[in-house]
Amino acid sequence: MTAFLALVALPLLCFGMGTSSELEHAKSTEFCLSCHIMEPYGRSLRVDDPQHLAAAHFQNHRVPANEACYTCHTNYAMFGGIKAKLGGLRHIYVYYLGTPPAPENIKLYEPYNNRECLHCHAGARSFEEGAVHTADPDLLPALKANKTSCISSGCHGVVHDVASLKDAKFWKGGN
Amino acid sequence: MLSTAPLERKLQLSGIILILGLVVEALCLLGHGPIAFMVFVGLGGVFFAAGILLYLYSLVSANVAPSGQ
Repeated sequence: MTAFLALVALPLLCFGMGTSSELEHAKSTEFCLSCHIMEPYGRSLRVDDPQHLAAAHFQNHRVPANEACYTCHTNYAMFGGIKAKLGGLRHIYVYYLGTPPAPENIKLYEPYNNRECLHCHAGARSFEEGAVHTADPDLLPALKANKTSCISSGCHGVVHDVASLKDAKFWKGGN
Repeated sequence: MLSTAPLERKLQLSGIILILGLVVEALCLLGHGPIAFMVFVGLGGVFFAAGILLYLYSLVSANVAPSGQ
């Protein structure tokens, strides 16, 4: 019985707890930015311009600062977390064994879905009663149905503008 | 020094492999990047699987002496 506990139960427990800890750590901003290629994206979170969507969310804690990348780039549908992890494995493969693109050429696998924005913003007064959002009665239903993109429609189009970081002013706080 | 008895030797080997797995996993938990995660799951997981399977195999493959009744 002792041998079974030591040679089967204990390793399985350690592996399970360790994997859980590692998966949790994999959500951290630090983890995502540990790849050199993501460094400009980390800097883009500190651009001192409220028009930059990612920077405004990060600096104002609209997303948890320590899980900023994961909060916006996971999929809030069923199995979204698993898809995000599989995407991460693909990133590791491309980074170490493939030919990674230049940071400014990195693209999303599919257009950003409003569902991820609405996960937090749906029901919020600033979203539901915002002057621009209510000016056209068709806009809110179109946003909620993902027929009009929050981002590519041009309203919140500046997200990670990594190509123009050299001219940007950066926020020094929040460390 | 490993035992000469087959069952004991397999159990000792299984323990050694599992300890190696524990060491690898403990070291990986100190790391912060994707590689640490991959080594944790890949190498540590393989050590654990090998150790556990060797232990279980050693049990089912052990020769049981007849009871003599």
